[in-house]
Amino acid sequence: MASIQISNLNKIYPGPKPVRALDHVDLVVEEGEFLALLGPSGCGKSTLLNILAGFETSTEGVVLFERQTIDKAGPDRGVVFQEAALFPWLTVFDNITFGPRVQGIKRAVYEQAAREMLDLVGLSDFAQSYPSQLSGGMRQRVGIARVLVMKPRALLMDEPFGALDAQTRLTMQELLLDVWQRLKITVVFVTHDIDEAILLADRVCVMSARPARIAQQIAIQLPRPRSIDDLTSPGFIRHKAEIMQVMRAAHSQKHIAAA
Amino acid sequence: MALTRRLRPDGATSSALPGVDSVTRLFSSNRANKIVAAAILPVVVLVVWQLAGPHGSLFGGVLPTPDRVAKAWYTWVFGTNSLGFNPYSGGWLDSVIFSTTRVLQGFAVAVVLGIPTGIMIGWSRLASETIDPLIQLLRPIPITAWLPFSIAVFGISSFGAIFLIALGVFYPVVINTTQGARHVERDLVRAAEMMGAGRFDILWRVVVPASLPAIFTGLRIGLGIGWTAVIVAEMIAVKSGLGYALWDAYYVGRMDVVIADMATIGLMGLLSDQIILVCERYALSWRRVNANR
Repeated sequence: MASIQISNLNKIYPGPKPVRALDHVDLVVEEGEFLALLGPSGCGKSTLLNILAGFETSTEGVVLFERQTIDKAGPDRGVVFQEAALFPWLTVFDNITFGPRVQGIKRAVYEQAAREMLDLVGLSDFAQSYPSQLSGGMRQRVGIARVLVMKPRALLMDEPFGALDAQTRLTMQELLLDVWQRLKITVVFVTHDIDEAILLADRVCVMSARPARIAQQIAIQLPRPRSIDDLTSPGFIRHKAEIMQVMRAAHSQKHIAAA
Repeated sequence: MALTRRLRPDGATSSALPGVDSVTRLFSSNRANKIVAAAILPVVVLVVWQLAGPHGSLFGGVLPTPDRVAKAWYTWVFGTNSLGFNPYSGGWLDSVIFSTTRVLQGFAVAVVLGIPTGIMIGWSRLASETIDPLIQLLRPIPITAWLPFSIAVFGISSFGAIFLIALGVFYPVVINTTQGARHVERDLVRAAEMMGAGRFDILWRVVVPASLPAIFTGLRIGLGIGWTAVIVAEMIAVKSGLGYALWDAYYVGRMDVVIADMATIGLMGLLSDQIILVCERYALSWRRVNANR
């Protein structure tokens, strides 16, 4: 069953010089699928994610989540932000339980789940720490845990590891693979990192530069469960070569169009 | 040579070289030394002031020396009320209490009105477009210009003073709160929406705490203006308090009391600012637990 259905989606930012961010995007994400949106920075892939999250509205087109039109943000679609976006005045535990608390769920109900999530992301010892006391990677773990605790039916991730150092990024990718393997929920993952897209996703959508269009979709054939060891496997290298070619083509096409 | 670095309690690194470290410590490392460092200049000023007036006054008798000010202050604080021969024997505490109470009342009114107004202006476009222009229009009018208005409306009474103080405190509180609420990180609001927070939850659990640092800035500036306002108001529109005593003492040529009064106002301002700082430190403790990794 399709989790997310997008057809003929257009997004134009109005103004004296209107900017077209998305150009006739059609996309279907199956339930439980891990989809990566790969494209250069500022190409509009974050705009697409923000529309799915309900943070922004489309100019034209249909965007459905579980057959319902998306009109606002909600806990069924958990968003993980690039800079974690934790509340600095709350402890790790209070950040993680923010969702259940504003939804009026009783502490007795969510406390156990919150402890489990802390454990899952390896931060049990930091429940009473403040975000300023955590490293970037740890903050992003909290960002993931606070979303998972709400039991979302889709995870929308906007370059969540983009600001981390290479070492931490690998650890976080492995953590995400592990989490996804257990929960098998729909994930839409925005990134500009080819390796990251191939390693994590079932399918990679290569986006062209502004206005964003889906240039090509590539199914990733690597077996699951995956680990960072896959980064050097022959299958991985083949996919990488293919995607780089597609990206180059998408780029040069744009140049021809512009000329 | 390997230069070993170690962490000082305030989190800054300092060199472990003994000479450098002891010099640093003399000025900044412990509280007692800080107090000594802070006291040097005031003591120098007092000594010079004292030595400059060998006959107990300077500028041809206008400005009394510190010892005479201290004596007058002591009498004002601890003296018994001597049937009107010296109005500045005792009564200091009453004046302090009158003024402080007015400042607190005016401050409370300004805070209760100013913080919610600032949050609304910063958060809602409608409030920003309707309320903000009025505030910007009234703000350039100095509170001193409101004095006749205040006396006309409230008469010679405490209410006039409280009105002026509230007005003076209101502007910085509103403006800083507005700034705080206007610049809440967009992703924090989005994160709250995503987690199911309604409009009220976003205001109360995100916008207000995110605005707190700016609100405290407004409170500190506001309190300073509050003390200015109470003195001005008491000089003219009320017949009690430190401001009234200040003007009255000047009128009867008691410059020693005038200076004791000024020092009192300074100390009260300092004390109230410190109280706000303590509250701020408590409310914003999440900011100070600095990165220890």
